[in-house]
Amino acid sequence: MTIPDAPDVRACRVDIDSTGALFQAAAKGDAAAWEALVGRLSPLVWSVVRSHRLIDADAHEVFQTTWFRLADNLTRIREPDKVGSWLASTARHECLKVIRGSRRVVPTSDVDVLSPEADDRSPEQAVLDAEEAAGQEAALRRVWQAYEQLSDNCRRLLRVLMASPPPSYAEIAAGLGIAIGSIGPTRGRCLGHLRRLLT
Amino acid sequence: MTCVNGDVDDDAELEGALRRAAELLDPVPAALVEVAVEAFRFRTVDAELAELTFDSMAGTAAVRGPAQARVLGFGGQAAGLDLEITAAGPSRRVIGQVTPPAHAVVEVRGHTPVSVTTDALGRFIVDRVPPGPLSLRCRVGDVVFTTEWVTV
Repeated sequence: MTIPDAPDVRACRVDIDSTGALFQAAAKGDAAAWEALVGRLSPLVWSVVRSHRLIDADAHEVFQTTWFRLADNLTRIREPDKVGSWLASTARHECLKVIRGSRRVVPTSDVDVLSPEADDRSPEQAVLDAEEAAGQEAALRRVWQAYEQLSDNCRRLLRVLMASPPPSYAEIAAGLGIAIGSIGPTRGRCLGHLRRLLT
Repeated sequence: MTCVNGDVDDDAELEGALRRAAELLDPVPAALVEVAVEAFRFRTVDAELAELTFDSMAGTAAVRGPAQARVLGFGGQAAGLDLEITAAGPSRRVIGQVTPPAHAVVEVRGHTPVSVTTDALGRFIVDRVPPGPLSLRCRVGDVVFTTEWVTV
């Protein structure tokens, strides 16, 4: 099994079979399989938690509770293929409880602006590369800032959609408590809004 | 789908840009990934799992003011546990009782587990429990069970 090292160029969904296989190996006591599972599905759990806009401390706690629960339930989950949806749903329910517990919710996240780092030795190509990288980073910051201006509904959906590798629609639905059928149209509408903010 | 191909491609491209932006600006904190990896060592293998059967925080009517307690109930096959959680400054106070009432040893799971012995009616208090994930391991006679994790 090889894991693609450039997830952004692969538009494929999570390889369901191998996620299920990792889960089954972990359930039998394979620590390496567990670690691989954590590596693969942590961005999904984090995205679901972030989409609920908890303050950082709460977000960290919910993330941990979600994984602790999975560890204790390794031998009890009947459908290994759906472990992503299980995690997304568990994270969502924990988020809702924390929100009901009247803890604060973040209004917006602020993005630190990094200062460009100086490079002592600067052959021409390195300078060009650095400029290109800085340009790409600036472009991504612009995308993120536009995303922050979207409606709550759009930010919620898009934040889960941003998980890497891309989550399945079943995982997104589990993480947000919405119907699978509503994801496609909302995604199209929200990306349309985002595009207009960027032009 | 009613989208023309151009739109679909543009959407995929924009979604990809968002994904890279999230990886750059809001990645999973590395320390959290380590904690999740470590959870494997702390998982309960032999003990019975007592599921959450009641949570005053669940449901739409749930409201908790700063001074109000959160009430939790956990049920296993042979025994269970009732908990009352209150905020005490930055930490939590956990008051509990094993059900049916019986003498028990209760441990707060974590890196440095804290154990308390209950009274004859299964009652106990643990102070200065840090906020975050909470699970208790209880030994009542020959029965050992752990509660499902909750965020307190």
